[in-house]
Amino acid sequence: MRTGRRTASVGRKRGGDGSMAEWIRFALTAACLIAGVFCFASAVTGVFRFGFIMNRMHASGIGDTLGLFLVIAGLVISSGISFDSLKLALLVFFMWFTSPVSAHFLGQIEYYSNRNLYRFVERKEGTDGSDDD
Amino acid sequence: MASIETAYQILYLSVLTAFAVLIGIMLIRAVIGPRITDRILAVNMLGTMVICSIAILSRFLGEAYLVDVALIYAMISFVAVLMLATTYLPADPKNPYFPAKGGKKTRRRRFGPDENGKADGVRRTEERG
Repeated sequence: MRTGRRTASVGRKRGGDGSMAEWIRFALTAACLIAGVFCFASAVTGVFRFGFIMNRMHASGIGDTLGLFLVIAGLVISSGISFDSLKLALLVFFMWFTSPVSAHFLGQIEYYSNRNLYRFVERKEGTDGSDDD
Repeated sequence: MASIETAYQILYLSVLTAFAVLIGIMLIRAVIGPRITDRILAVNMLGTMVICSIAILSRFLGEAYLVDVALIYAMISFVAVLMLATTYLPADPKNPYFPAKGGKKTRRRRFGPDENGKADGVRRTEERG
């Protein structure tokens, strides 16, 4: 098990002679990274296929939260517990706090500047009766 | 049997290639986005993918300081989105940037009923006609 902190000059891996535990770790890393890339790909697909910004925000939230978490989790698994992994976890923590704030601001801009919002968003009961499309 | 070094390198390279393709596709959305919110959303999403790419690159190259770069990139990306949002947000939400032609009543219509509790249908017939 690689537990020591690695420096830039030493390199990425120690050993590397293909023991079974290392291959299991590699499989976990590959699964997490590929799942993360799949999440990002589905987020990009959703951003392109949906037609309205609220739906696009929903799609991009998947990539912002789950995709980032899976990619960073794969990297943390590949490197073991170290100070680097702590920083990567801090990155996930930070992004999980900032992504809803960004989404909130985007929704606010769209709500206050889109005059065709009634075509996409349902109104509350009693405010308006225009639901015919 | 292939070395585990090679396996990791192939994995990281393929994931980085996929991220490059996704970033390119997202850049297209940032260019063709019909509204400003689409562009801000695309830039936000692009920043997230660049952060992931930098984090993977730090493992791929074995350079630990790239994680710090990713952290700073996350903060700057957040500040960029926040600055764009505060630029395009109306200062007074009751008076939006794109007021209707009809005046005060029709301008307030999409925020709900007016001060008498009634909603008028002037704006809707104007826009759909």
